[in-house]
Amino acid sequence: MSFLTPLFFLGVAALAAPILVHLVRRTRARRVQFPALVFVRQVPQRTIRRRTLQNVFLLLLRCLAILLIVIAFTRPFFSGGSAAKDNSAAGATVILIDNSLSMRREQMFAEAQRRVEAALDEARIDEQVALLTFDKRYTVINRFTVDKTKLRSAIGTLSAGWDGTDYEQALRGAESLLGEVGTTGPKRIVMISDFQAPGWNHASATFKLSNNTQLTTLDVGGNNPPWNVAITNVEARGVVFGQKYLDNLVVHISNFSDTPKADVLVDFQINEQTVEKRDISLNSRDSRVVEFTGFNVNEGVNRCTIDIVSGDFPTDNRFYFTLRRETPAKALIIESASRGRSDSLHLQSALTTNEDLPFTFSLKSTGSVDPASIWDYALVVLNDTGPISPALADTLTKFVSGGGQVIVSTGPRTQLESFNASLQQITPATLREVVQTKAGESVAITEVKFDHPIFEVFQESGRLASANVIGYFRSEPRANAAVLARFEDGSPALVEARTGKGRVLLFTSSLGSSWNDLPLTPLYLPFIHQMVRYAGAREENSWYGLGQTFTVAKERDAPPPAVDTPSGARLSENRLTPDGDLLVTAREPGFYRLRYNERPGFAAVNIDGAEGDFTKLNFPEFVVGVTGGAGTAEGAPANNNLSREEVEGRQKVWWSLLLVALLLLLAESFLARRTKMVKMIG
Amino acid sequence: MFSPATTPARFLDPELLARIGSLELLARAVVEGFMSGLHRSPFTGFSTEFTEYRQYNPGDDLRYLDWRLLARTDRYFIKKYRADTNTQCHLLVDTSASMNYAHASSVTKLQYAQYLAASLAYLLNRQQDAVGMVGFAEKVHTHVPARNRTGHMRTIYGNLSMLEAAGQTDLAQSLHQLAEILTRRGIVVIISDFYDQPDRLQEAFQHLRFKGHDLVAFHVLDQNELDFDFTDPVLLLEDAETQEQMPVLPDVVMDGYRERMRKHVEEMRRCAAANHVDYEMITTKQPLDFALFSFLSRRSGK
Repeated sequence: MSFLTPLFFLGVAALAAPILVHLVRRTRARRVQFPALVFVRQVPQRTIRRRTLQNVFLLLLRCLAILLIVIAFTRPFFSGGSAAKDNSAAGATVILIDNSLSMRREQMFAEAQRRVEAALDEARIDEQVALLTFDKRYTVINRFTVDKTKLRSAIGTLSAGWDGTDYEQALRGAESLLGEVGTTGPKRIVMISDFQAPGWNHASATFKLSNNTQLTTLDVGGNNPPWNVAITNVEARGVVFGQKYLDNLVVHISNFSDTPKADVLVDFQINEQTVEKRDISLNSRDSRVVEFTGFNVNEGVNRCTIDIVSGDFPTDNRFYFTLRRETPAKALIIESASRGRSDSLHLQSALTTNEDLPFTFSLKSTGSVDPASIWDYALVVLNDTGPISPALADTLTKFVSGGGQVIVSTGPRTQLESFNASLQQITPATLREVVQTKAGESVAITEVKFDHPIFEVFQESGRLASANVIGYFRSEPRANAAVLARFEDGSPALVEARTGKGRVLLFTSSLGSSWNDLPLTPLYLPFIHQMVRYAGAREENSWYGLGQTFTVAKERDAPPPAVDTPSGARLSENRLTPDGDLLVTAREPGFYRLRYNERPGFAAVNIDGAEGDFTKLNFPEFVVGVTGGAGTAEGAPANNNLSREEVEGRQKVWWSLLLVALLLLLAESFLARRTKMVKMIG
Repeated sequence: MFSPATTPARFLDPELLARIGSLELLARAVVEGFMSGLHRSPFTGFSTEFTEYRQYNPGDDLRYLDWRLLARTDRYFIKKYRADTNTQCHLLVDTSASMNYAHASSVTKLQYAQYLAASLAYLLNRQQDAVGMVGFAEKVHTHVPARNRTGHMRTIYGNLSMLEAAGQTDLAQSLHQLAEILTRRGIVVIISDFYDQPDRLQEAFQHLRFKGHDLVAFHVLDQNELDFDFTDPVLLLEDAETQEQMPVLPDVVMDGYRERMRKHVEEMRRCAAANHVDYEMITTKQPLDFALFSFLSRRSGK
């Protein structure tokens, strides 16, 4: 038998109370003179002896009740010996030690290391033991060995990391390792962790331990996880082109505890200068969204942080991200040469109303375009151009293959054969025929891929169908093309295809008002902007999660820059892409410094937001989940497989002891009332 | 000291009487109060010599009404007579330590015995009887011979008031001793708690009876000696005379004790009846008139 809180044994001193009372009270019998003692003497007095014994019995009852209460407070539990010790053949044990971010809580990892030591102490001399650490992945620290000294020295080198937790991966790794060892003895996995609920998803868990594997869980997280407020996500555009950040920068903040938190200060900083502060309150188990917009962004890469001032686990109180402000690239709109009003009026207006677009546009007609000048642009928009020269068509083909972006829209001036012939190399779809609706009738754009970046802004409103289209080309998409939207009759409305390194978008109606009323609706502006942004998008995240790999682009005619980690160490990784860019795996939160010659760059790395949720894992569910059913698997944790607190918590011996003590006190009260405690002198 | 409106019966309450310092006053208060409450005078046959008239009171015996005076004056007067001394009475008071017991009452058995003896002495003196007094414990220690002289009552009261409870009881021995001392026949009133063996007492009674005395026995007990009513769960009882101590559980002992005490009283009653002793058991809670009435009613029958 062991005791969880043996300090309460000091309460044994309370036994002195009933003994003292017994001794003191017995001397207080009243002395009374009585004349007729001769008659009293004749009455048998054996009862007194019996009552004296009853008194002693009552005293014993009281002492026993107090003793039981004291023992109950020491939280006793029965711990069985190690299973390995009970088997004749030496077994194999895999010790899994959680080194995820949450184990950085005060002394928790040190406690885990101590538990590993204890587990090694329990192991038989000839038992083979392997040591693994795990967060979202597992790492083999030591394969099976009987050399406990070696394992002990390895334990000392371990420390808690920054990543999240995945128990399933850890168990997979441990079981896989157990498969390598040949033993007839028991196979055991000892998992030492704080057992966070986010580390195991019952709904998606598919892995189960084999029947001959025993699971022992040692909880170092305690039964009462601390409260914690954490920033779980920041939604920001990594690249902006204007001075003002016009979108909403969205910060997600969660309270993972059952205690409401008021006056949580949210501090948004750019390059260590505070931009704005907000004060928010969070209910228990609540998530809040804080939005920032309209702030200035300097040119180049800006280091941005969101801090919450909160006295809890500090690691998840800061979120890192970058905002890069770039100069817009040049884009060209080509339209057909015609008299009168330009067909690109609406398009041009739409593309010049917002400074935060990746392009600055200029307009030329097909006749005035020098094919050689196409290379000066990053994006070309062919807006109902009519026939184009073979030289221009050839240049455009090369332009797209080399990485250029092209948006093509048809219209009344588009000639079917000429279009298909000149742009067949790059167009995502082959035009088949013109469809003109009857007077007074129109078709709508109905089938839309709202998960595509162009249409995701319409996902909630769904109002794209309100545009009335009276003319369009039926078309047949290329094999590798993706239809992003269709008209009511199923004919593609917007088709996308990659050619070489570039990309082409084909809108089979007009971007002017000739064939539809789209320019006259509120949908037009976001539609055009999204299309242009998509065409000019550069794949750059504002931040990366721990464990993610990001690319550090090399400088022109130079090797990739040196990279400093957030802790200041120079990164020694030298994995390169085929293009010569450096691949870096994010290992710690903060800003990675990219030492370019001209201007330093930064990459922001953040911890897994869910790691701040210290809610306790549902143990029974977990055990049943990984062992295949309570009571059937050997791995179902018996009392001796759990931590001392868990064993004690499950046995609840204290409860039984208190119950017995209560019954004893009730019996004592009953007996005391009946016998009126005899107090005697001598 | 006493309000005129107070009823005579109140004067007979032993606890109230205990406030009266003088036994003479006490005895007068008891007897006068007792007498005025009686509807029939107990003095019939005792008195022959006319002394004075007094106003007729309702309840007075019409035989003593002066009819002639009534015819002359139309007023009711009673003729009063002075009785002749015709007997002597000795009041024997037990002063053993056991008589010093009082439980819930403020009056000990000895005090009660003193009041009773004083009242009887006063009453007897009014009848012109010679009254003597004896105090005894293991043996006789106080003896006032019976007299009917002026000032004798003060001697009686003085000696009564000086009695103190002490020593052990040897009632039978004391009665044998008195039987030898009291040579002239008379009434012997024994006031005691009678903690002695009835067999021995019977011999003592017979001795006194043999000497020609009329015996009256007042068995004075505290009510708690009968009830053994203690609230304490345990007591250390100490014998008042021997100082012997004994732990007792009242709730256990109570029934057995009561039974034994009841048997003792019955035995005393039987012993007294067998020897023609007028026996009365009284408790210190009972008014004194109860004892007086008992005494007079028994004496009037003889």
